[in-house]
Amino acid sequence: MQYQSQSVAKLYFIAAIGLFVGQILFGLIIGLQYLMGDFMFPEIPFNVARMTHTNLLIVWLLFGFMGAAYYLVPEEAERELESPLLAKLMFWIFLVAGALTVLGYLLVPYSGLAQMTANSLMPTMGREFLEQPTITKIGIVVVALAFLYNIGMTILKGRKTVVNLVLLIGLAGLAVLFLFAFYNPANVVLDKFFWWWVVHLWVEGVWELILGSILAFVLIKTTGVDREVIEKWLYVIIAMTLITGIIGTGHHYYWIGTPEYWQWWGSIFSAMEPIPFFMMTVFAFNMVNKRRRNHPNKAAVLWALGTATMAFLGAGVWGFLHTLSPVNFYTHGTQITAAHGHMAFYGAYVMIVLTIISYAMPILRGRQAANSNRSQVLEMWSFWLMTVSIVFITLFLTAAGILQVYLQRFSDTAMPFMVVQDKIALFYWLRELTGVIFLIGLVVYIASFFVGNDEPEASVEPTAE
Amino acid sequence: MLFLALSFDSVSALPERDNRQNLTETVAQGKILWEENNCIGCHTLLGEGAYFAPELGNAYHRLGGEAGIIGFIKSRPKDGIPGRRSMPQFNFSDEELQAIAEFLKYVSEINTANWPPNIQG
Amino acid sequence: MNSRQPDRRYPPGDLAIWIFILAELSVFAIFFAAYAFTRMNNVELFNEFQQSLDPTSAMLNTIALITSSYFVVRALAAIREDNREGCESWLWAACAMGGVFLAIKSAEYAHHFGMGINLSTNTFYMFYISLTFFHFMHVILGMVILAAVAVKTRQGAYSADEHTGVETGGSYWHMVDLVWLILFPLVYVMR
Repeated sequence: MQYQSQSVAKLYFIAAIGLFVGQILFGLIIGLQYLMGDFMFPEIPFNVARMTHTNLLIVWLLFGFMGAAYYLVPEEAERELESPLLAKLMFWIFLVAGALTVLGYLLVPYSGLAQMTANSLMPTMGREFLEQPTITKIGIVVVALAFLYNIGMTILKGRKTVVNLVLLIGLAGLAVLFLFAFYNPANVVLDKFFWWWVVHLWVEGVWELILGSILAFVLIKTTGVDREVIEKWLYVIIAMTLITGIIGTGHHYYWIGTPEYWQWWGSIFSAMEPIPFFMMTVFAFNMVNKRRRNHPNKAAVLWALGTATMAFLGAGVWGFLHTLSPVNFYTHGTQITAAHGHMAFYGAYVMIVLTIISYAMPILRGRQAANSNRSQVLEMWSFWLMTVSIVFITLFLTAAGILQVYLQRFSDTAMPFMVVQDKIALFYWLRELTGVIFLIGLVVYIASFFVGNDEPEASVEPTAE
Repeated sequence: MLFLALSFDSVSALPERDNRQNLTETVAQGKILWEENNCIGCHTLLGEGAYFAPELGNAYHRLGGEAGIIGFIKSRPKDGIPGRRSMPQFNFSDEELQAIAEFLKYVSEINTANWPPNIQG
Repeated sequence: MNSRQPDRRYPPGDLAIWIFILAELSVFAIFFAAYAFTRMNNVELFNEFQQSLDPTSAMLNTIALITSSYFVVRALAAIREDNREGCESWLWAACAMGGVFLAIKSAEYAHHFGMGINLSTNTFYMFYISLTFFHFMHVILGMVILAAVAVKTRQGAYSADEHTGVETGGSYWHMVDLVWLILFPLVYVMR
């Protein structure tokens, strides 16, 4: 660790992993509720468990991004963080606010929570992914501003690199776009229109900038390839991301009451959205092939390559599958969407956070560069367990989705929703079992932090030339 | 910039499509109830939401008008149906039920380019 | 005077710009294909409303863009001779022709929007406005790039030996021009 203040990242990473476990447990609960409808009913109905599942995901990814920023910004800017104290303070505020919100979800009926937090003063609750009480949303804004101040000042006063500037733009965009979460008109179409400015422009816009810069940072560190080369790639990738991703928002404007030209704009631009992801894959593999040295942290390199590959598959390929408007007419709002969501989030955002954790954690815990071989082997096992599981979860949900589309929407004798759900239950069972394997992978992942700590660091064998 | 231009055009084209002439006080109240009970946590509305329970953008037509919607919500058993996915019993007042039904009626009249493909949603 | 070493590097300019150009061209290509296919199914409608467009101003615009591309070629030739002032002047001239294009096109838009036409009027206008406006934004971007290159030229950033930036900006501008050369016959002329 070059700078003392980087150590605050550790807190963020630990919290991220902890919440990740919670997210997966709730994922298993709702997976089971798909099969046994009365499981935990009426104490924890599906909507509550699902909201906990998705909100935990968002929050732990945000923790991961913040941790990543606190780790890499000082190193890039070549100075200590503006205020490590503020970073620690915000960590606790965010964690406590997050915990209280989740407890609110679980212990109080949602409408009660809305009353307790005076939702009627400024109604923002009850919209997918933005279920947080208004007060929590305001808290998120405060935390985000303090965080941006901390990171922004560090960068502005220090060395400005493409990596930290792209990261800063991504984080600033994240905060700014979140403000649309406070806009909730009675008009459903307008509501949905700007809801996507948060949701889509986050995951297919500014988050990709964050992803790109973290990936670039890890590749610079682990491959030893010239910064100039990596930065040029990063430029091209983010430019393509923004060009395709921003107007790509149009693929959400097909059927929500917006004008029909969006079917053209949305289809054409989102058909291009896989390109930046594909470039990212080519980029990562290229850099690793051209590496100047073998980094002893093989697990981190594996995660980095995995991110590039799975982001392309999940976000790129699975997104493209149903993004064209004539296809989307039938697949909109089915298990196909769920399949895409699972692989895209895992491949792009879960994996990038695990990449930076894998790279940074050994150093934060006092190693020179890498964990012991034993720990790394376990971590790589967890990589494969989780990644293969998510691939199968995606495949099963895709199969369920195709059947659902056919039975419920396409065939001449269309069947009601619930009848179709019963018919595709087999795939939900397979998905649930695969989910259990994912959980095992996660347990192995956590175990990798606790084994082999008394063994020597993995060393580099001479470069295979 | 292009996106902003398109968005501007969309927002100005919306009055033709979004059924705002029927956006009454009751409908707005219905939307608040829709939100404060997190209906989107199980259902989709115009295809967006969770995929655990049926699409509600066309529920007005599928369930047979406002009376059908009200009857369905009212009749949910408190402890659910054993072994099956069940909608909770929300204990809405008659006025609230009316607001939700009118909200769903309003949504069903939005011009959605003929989505969903059929009545099953 | 240094010897005139023609730049043999291929492709000229920064490789990154070529990736962009490729991506941009594919977007336009998909758009053009979509236009063509939709027209096939609505020939009557497309022919009818095509009449409402003004081919004269589009022709003027075509000339403006071709001229500007020629100016860019002259700018590149100038910098290869180490003639910075010439290069800068030609670049500004190219920008000015871009300005002419924008002015004429805006007048056309003003005419159509004044008649209450918008994206939702019908399929033809949807494509007409989408395609030309998308291109319009590229002209603006191209002008910004050319202007940036011109400013850097004045600051002495380029010379006969090192003028990748001029080639890069020029390549992008030629792409913008090229797209119009397809757009013009496709939307305005072809019946």
